[in-house]
Amino acid sequence: MSQNLDFASADDKALVRAAQKGGMQAFEELVARHRDKIYGRAFSMMRNEEEAVDLSQEAWVKAWQRLKQFQGEASFVTWMTRIVINLCLDQLRKQKRLRAESIEQMDEELGGVERQMPVVTPNPTERLERGELRQRIDEALAKLSHEHRTVLILHEFEELEYKEIARRMRCSIGTVMSRLFYARRKMAVLLAGLKREELR
Amino acid sequence: MINHETELKLQAYLDGELSPGEAKTVADLLRRDAGAQALYQELRIAKSLLAENELDRKLPESREFYWSKIRRQIEREESTLADGLTEPAAFRWWTRFLAPAGVLAGLAILVAVTLRSPNGGGTILALDDSHEIETPLEETSSFSFRSEAAAMTVVWVDSHRE
Repeated sequence: MSQNLDFASADDKALVRAAQKGGMQAFEELVARHRDKIYGRAFSMMRNEEEAVDLSQEAWVKAWQRLKQFQGEASFVTWMTRIVINLCLDQLRKQKRLRAESIEQMDEELGGVERQMPVVTPNPTERLERGELRQRIDEALAKLSHEHRTVLILHEFEELEYKEIARRMRCSIGTVMSRLFYARRKMAVLLAGLKREELR
Repeated sequence: MINHETELKLQAYLDGELSPGEAKTVADLLRRDAGAQALYQELRIAKSLLAENELDRKLPESREFYWSKIRRQIEREESTLADGLTEPAAFRWWTRFLAPAGVLAGLAILVAVTLRSPNGGGTILALDDSHEIETPLEETSSFSFRSEAAAMTVVWVDSHRE
């Protein structure tokens, strides 16, 4: 089957079926199609280019090894994204074990300065082009702790529910809610600051 | 001023994570509390800005180079896995061969000890030719054969059952 398949025009489902039968070329096409997305998710979580390349590559190797387990309940790219997210979470857990828990970090877990922040209304969309706005939002995300950024990514970009985020991050739903709350508040402040800069 | 628990409920309301009863309570609060409304707006805007504006990223490596690394890693891991499977397979083959051989050897030793001559000479009765040995049990007989050339002893036990 894979010998007759036109890889460039075949849809993901057909490529997955061919790859499940051992078709390396079909798998290569899947990698080519989705490599930016998978790398992008790894980068958004790790904020490090080299780590993101390595982890995305590892995700593809794992995907090949587990391809027979993929039943097609979700799309292939969603399945792949879940694999890379799990690898990133494992890596972040390892790094956290190596890092000394600083007072600043503990403070951030509990909300830190965001707890006392006045409510702001960020609305930078009026003055920024979409591409520039995305860039600014990405820069704001980079200023968050790993815990706050991860919970935002899983909730806003991956659209996971609190319960699923708690399971993946191995923490309670209460912790997820609290992290999400302070992460959003910090983002609001950072984006409101961008607006003030724009107005100068 | 609303407490932290209420703040989290406002957020859960925004995310659609409340039961219908709790959602109604929060909706009532939003209608009458300006502070809750302001916080809700802040959270809502932060959520919508993020949801619609994730930055697209490009992998900083060429397709060919990236794929070649993945393919090599797949091949390396498959090769390691194959090596890991080969050793136990060989071990299993030896186990299959050695287990019956061990049983046979044990049986041979047992019979040899049993069939030592009563005067304590310690000689195994089967030497160059096969010998029929009478056993104390009427319904059972055994034969043993030893070949010095082949360094082998064969014991055959017959229960005379049809």
